[in-house]
Amino acid sequence: MIQETHLFKPFDKPLSLVTDAGVWNAPFELDLPDETLLNMYRDLVLSRLLDEQLGKLQRLGKTSFVAPNAGHEGAHVGVAYALRAGFDWLFPYYRDHGLVLALGVPLREVFGQTLATRADPNKGRQMPAHPGSGALNVFTAASPIASHLPPAVGAALSMKLRGTGQVAVATFGEGATSEGDFHAAMNFAGVQGAPIVFVCENNGYAISVALRKQSGSETIAAKAYAYGMPGYTVDGMDALACYYVMQDAVAHAREGRGPVLVELLVYRYGAHSSADDDSAYRPREEVAAWRRRDPLGRFRRFLEARGLWEEVQERGLRDELGRTLSAALAEAEAAGSVPTEWLFDDVYAEVPDTLLEQRESL
Amino acid sequence: MAQLNFVQAITHTLDFEMARDPRVVLLGEDVGKRGGVFLASQGLFDRYGPDRVIDTPLSEAAIVGAAVGMAAHGLRPVAEVQFSDYIYPGFDQLVSQAAKLRYRSGGQFFAPMVVRLPAGGGVKGGHHHSQNPETHFVHTPGLKVVYPSSPADAKGLLTTAIRDDDPVVFMEPKRLYRAFKEEVPDGEYAVPLGQARVRLEGDDVVLISYGGSVAETLMAAGALSEQGVSAHVLDLRSLLPWDKGAVLEAVARVGRVVLVSEAPKTAGFVSEIAATISEEILDTLLAPPARVTGFDTPYPYAQDRAYLPGVNRILRAVQGVLNY
Repeated sequence: MIQETHLFKPFDKPLSLVTDAGVWNAPFELDLPDETLLNMYRDLVLSRLLDEQLGKLQRLGKTSFVAPNAGHEGAHVGVAYALRAGFDWLFPYYRDHGLVLALGVPLREVFGQTLATRADPNKGRQMPAHPGSGALNVFTAASPIASHLPPAVGAALSMKLRGTGQVAVATFGEGATSEGDFHAAMNFAGVQGAPIVFVCENNGYAISVALRKQSGSETIAAKAYAYGMPGYTVDGMDALACYYVMQDAVAHAREGRGPVLVELLVYRYGAHSSADDDSAYRPREEVAAWRRRDPLGRFRRFLEARGLWEEVQERGLRDELGRTLSAALAEAEAAGSVPTEWLFDDVYAEVPDTLLEQRESL
Repeated sequence: MAQLNFVQAITHTLDFEMARDPRVVLLGEDVGKRGGVFLASQGLFDRYGPDRVIDTPLSEAAIVGAAVGMAAHGLRPVAEVQFSDYIYPGFDQLVSQAAKLRYRSGGQFFAPMVVRLPAGGGVKGGHHHSQNPETHFVHTPGLKVVYPSSPADAKGLLTTAIRDDDPVVFMEPKRLYRAFKEEVPDGEYAVPLGQARVRLEGDDVVLISYGGSVAETLMAAGALSEQGVSAHVLDLRSLLPWDKGAVLEAVARVGRVVLVSEAPKTAGFVSEIAATISEEILDTLLAPPARVTGFDTPYPYAQDRAYLPGVNRILRAVQGVLNY
């Protein structure tokens, strides 16, 4: 769709399809059914409410760590809806709860991971904000920045060599583009024409370090050029722009035309994590200005303009999602904490004698 | 049976496994038409094509990291890093991704991959073509580490490594690549990981080694034999897991042990063996365990042979434990 319009080229100003006022402003017709639009909005709101809920859990001392997602929801939903859930592979990073939720990872598992209960299919092995799902091909997140990018290229190569028709999508922040692994991955993907979409959720800050101290490049997307792949800069607060660009990028990769780099300009409303205080490095006016461009508000105004949404539905949705969140949290808590003995499982396919001995000494 | 040298045994095994299992792919710098810098994959590009013998960019992070993703997605990649000295740009991929994938995902994802590392000194390579970094890997839960010393073991252990469901660091003593030939089984031949091999039976002293130093250790045992000293030589073959049973049994029976490794001395792998012996069978010892190792220096160029634990240093250590 976007390819056909030829509107969207590398180095263009960030692509936006819906104005801040919620008006569809694209040179092509919207082709998503109302039901999909309503589901997208539901996922946007769910992610925001989850974020608030996780913050509360952290303040209550029920979890050790939270990486706020608020401000990234439009990017998350746009990316998720462009993928074939459970078929394509997602290589997420630590600020992707909204993305994995929209892809179908159950809330129960997200809470299970946050609380390290048996509801976590990853068995409570990592600190919160590191989701993963074997069932949905969500490659369990790892903390070392950009270290998941070379593996994502490897998986994409396997897809290509075996002709599976799958696509790998890897997400990361703009700070990750400074790591050697980013270069190694982009370079190898470019050489091999691997079916992968690199998605940079550029929120302008790597903890406290601003983009201008991270890269001398005008945009992150510009880096694609040197690796022989298309690069796009998108208004990441516009869920539909994210969706349509990702849809094209994923199609590009799936059709065997090689990798794509997509830069989604978002903003992190909260601090980097529950262990960070962003007031030391970000002016409050800047945060407020970005909040006025909120992806939820824009999408709501868009739905309202199309006659698909009213205040009464908003209240109903928030009530319903609140109940859904409470139920999933209760379920995750009821699953019970991860047993101490699990400490020794999954180091290897089989527990070796040395670990059996060490388990005895617990 | 065929008479093969070490590197021929590697090529033969890669060929055998690629023919057996279409999931097995090779990747690395120059592994394609060139056949690898040591010719370990010679002929395989012509036989299996560019989709299964993949020349990569000059990036160990890409090689090791891509292998992780290939493995997680269902292939059985065998990655070659030209020299173990160059693993460091890919070290994070080994430590943070390969070694921890199964654990961090609760077993949902895992990486059945092999990283082949030509290693060790004695080739006049200086410090960036001679090192023995096995301790880094052995200190990384989630990895398996293998370091064979002979062509037949190279086949048996590489076969097992490729079929293993966990990441295996497969170290190859490059100074032995073309040092000698031996009978290597033609067909199916797999040696389990974690089983030491008795290279020589003996009663007076136990010599334990692995990788390239097994050659010098056997030479020392030959010299001892001429002096009427009977050495029991154990080749560990794999370091993680390592054959604690065979080590403790032999050392408890004989009471004297010399541990030989060309890696730097401090916190080297043989120190772990010495500690285990001390913890578990101290009362059987007739002398403290002795270590003969490389030195705590960068690997030198001019003093290439002096760095290695040679026959004379091994013999001096044996005299020490015999005369204790």
